[in-house]
Amino acid sequence: MSELSNFMSHAVFHALAGLITLVSLMVVASKHPVKSAVFLVVDLFLLAAVYATLESHFVAAIQVLVYAGAVVVLFLFVIMLLNLQPDQLRGLRFNAPEAVTLILSLIGMFIMIGVSVAGKPTGLGDGSLTVEAIADGGGNTYLVAMKLLTDFIWPFELASVLILLAIVAAVVIAKKDHKDQPA
Amino acid sequence: MGLTADEFTVQFISTLLKFSILAVILLQVPPIMVLVERRIPAFMQRRKGPNRVGLFGFRIYGVLQSLADTIKLIFKEEVVPTGAHKAFYHLAPVFAVFPALMIAMAIPYGPDIQVFGHTIPLSVVRVDVGFLFIFAISSLAVYGVTIAGWASNNKYALLGSLRASAQMISYEIPLGMSLIPIVLIYGSLDLNKIVEAQTHIWKWGIFLSPISFVLFLIAMFAETNRTPFDLSEAEGELVAGFHTEYNSTKFAAFFLGEYVSMFVLSCLASTVFLGGWQVPFFDVRSLDQLVGFTGVGAFVGFGSLFMKAAFFMWLYVWVRWTIPRFRYDQLMSLGWKFMIPLGLINVVVTALALAAVRFS
Repeated sequence: MSELSNFMSHAVFHALAGLITLVSLMVVASKHPVKSAVFLVVDLFLLAAVYATLESHFVAAIQVLVYAGAVVVLFLFVIMLLNLQPDQLRGLRFNAPEAVTLILSLIGMFIMIGVSVAGKPTGLGDGSLTVEAIADGGGNTYLVAMKLLTDFIWPFELASVLILLAIVAAVVIAKKDHKDQPA
Repeated sequence: MGLTADEFTVQFISTLLKFSILAVILLQVPPIMVLVERRIPAFMQRRKGPNRVGLFGFRIYGVLQSLADTIKLIFKEEVVPTGAHKAFYHLAPVFAVFPALMIAMAIPYGPDIQVFGHTIPLSVVRVDVGFLFIFAISSLAVYGVTIAGWASNNKYALLGSLRASAQMISYEIPLGMSLIPIVLIYGSLDLNKIVEAQTHIWKWGIFLSPISFVLFLIAMFAETNRTPFDLSEAEGELVAGFHTEYNSTKFAAFFLGEYVSMFVLSCLASTVFLGGWQVPFFDVRSLDQLVGFTGVGAFVGFGSLFMKAAFFMWLYVWVRWTIPRFRYDQLMSLGWKFMIPLGLINVVVTALALAAVRFS
């Protein structure tokens, strides 16, 4: 990798990291629920950009497709249908649950900072998954598909059954109220 | 990313150039389509349509009508409705235009060209998961409509945007599902490779997977909110739907977003089902050597793709002035009860057929 493109990728990463932190803070700090949802979209989109700079285009595309494109749309949908107004929501007040959450997230954050400052983070594999190795193996999409549909076929199928269960449950809950009404 | 500084510079400059050219081309689509959308129905209904606007006494079939319309739109007074959510009201047109322009970057507009010893692909960015990229970005198109309707503080706008977002989410599924057989057949998510595989007319997607083509065509109309699926701006019920409160340049931005995404989806349909930049019975890449001038093949390839996309654009207009609008429940039952099951069956049948061919 040349000096220039090395410098560029570092610059892009740090710019993205800064933006993501800022936008994530805005998601939590915004008083207006719609604002929070829109910031969440931007946040997930920028995260996908980080994946793309890691040459992991498949994960980046799936990230935008599923989270930014589908999940948050439904959030936004619900917020708009309920027409939540800022004054109907409690602001940032420190009750017991919030305090516990805050303390736990701060502890988690310090552990992560400590680990990354202390040196090589654990749990990242043996370093054989370089960009070149993945390209030689047939590309990102191919390798993910092979792993998912051979070694991890049972977890994969179980996850889809779990989602199916959730869908059936949602339909059952939605149907219950209309039983005694004429169709 | 093992790039030398030289390659990096070439890539940077060529991407910038390609992007500028593409942006200029895409910005010409709405004015042309506005005129087409008034002249073709006039022809269908035996009227004359707008043919008066001219310059210095030359009318040239009313071509300048679009210019006049554009000038009118730009110089109109901007009225922001009282009670509108200001920031989102101004941001919504951006959300509407951005995905349309971004997915245009992944379409291969022609075969690779050789310039000064460098191979330059004729798509702005060459993504090896082109399909997923396009779906990912086009799934963001919902936000423009949704936020526009909500921020306008208008009942009709909100109803229009709710309809539009439900419709776009519903039809995204058959749109994606219709292309899975194509991915299975050509064995790649890379649009460039899919085009290169369609060397012969019988290897075009439309012949290998005709059901996919029909599903894609229907979902394409629904995704761009065009008649017969323009429930989101049904003028008989909702004034103008999600853009009721928009005027002047912001209204023009919604126009731009709609026509550009129509054009890009037309390009995608041509790329996947009609062989993209390939010309039937002829290899455009051999043209460079035949004529002895580099870039001729790419130019012909681009022309070929453009003609195919123009056909789909004309189809949009043709259908708009032929078929009346669906009712909302009809729209939903068509999407969920007909297209998704058919799409699933199509995937399974294609997979079985491919397995039978490969393992026999």
